Amino acid sequence: MIQILSGIQNTTAALDAERTRLDVISENIANAQTTRGPDGKPYQRRIVAFETALQQALGSHQGAQTTGPQVARISKDTRAPIQVYEPEHQDADARGMVAMPNINIHEEMADMIAASRAFEANLAVVKNSRAMAMQTLAIGKR
Amino acid sequence: MIEAIFNQPNYLAAKKTLDAVALRQEAIGANLANLETPGYKRVDLAPAFQRELERACASREPGQFASLKPTLAVDPTAMPHGLDGNTVSLEQEMMQLNQNMITHTLETQLVTGTLQKLRMAITGKS
Repeated sequence: MIQILSGIQNTTAALDAERTRLDVISENIANAQTTRGPDGKPYQRRIVAFETALQQALGSHQGAQTTGPQVARISKDTRAPIQVYEPEHQDADARGMVAMPNINIHEEMADMIAASRAFEANLAVVKNSRAMAMQTLAIGKR
Repeated sequence: MIEAIFNQPNYLAAKKTLDAVALRQEAIGANLANLETPGYKRVDLAPAFQRELERACASREPGQFASLKPTLAVDPTAMPHGLDGNTVSLEQEMMQLNQNMITHTLETQLVTGTLQKLRMAITGKS
């Protein structure tokens, strides 16, 4: 098949992966106060890790290959829950301490900005490739 | 006679540069796609292509251009910015993306100009 927008599948993979990352960040923010999940424990922060297929070694006939990223895994942050003194809370222990999820809202906001900027950068590539393809199609026209 | 027009070194160089620009767009797209991938090394056009293109332009022989083929290579000069070993910088890639776009505009206009001159010579109309 001819490729009019060269390398667009990598960009698509990245847009997918960044969307997943934004979904996980919003899940973290939404559950910042969830003290009891399905397992009875406070919500644990989720982390998205990206991976890419191994880059082809140098010196081969075709040169390096380009690859797009994909979501490798969504793991749980193992940092301890934050203890807050709130004796009247339903989930408070004998000392009046409540285990709050290990979520720092500032950290999540910074991650969210980084993810949306990466998303925008990939959209800029799509726009740019499209403009280039239109120019190529206009070769020879006045 | 028409072969002479299509074998001008400038025209051939413009064609090869267009190939290189399309490949470079793919490289920049992949770099921006892997902006957040740990351990990713940025790719770019192999520097050998630029040197060979300059040599072919200097020789002014159409045969020299035929064997030119742009390839991609991992950029060995790019340094990792963080602890994850990723060597892609968002700002630099955006600059390269725009630069690539402008090069593409230049080369397509050059090719169009050559074709229009030929059309003018045939029809006598501009």
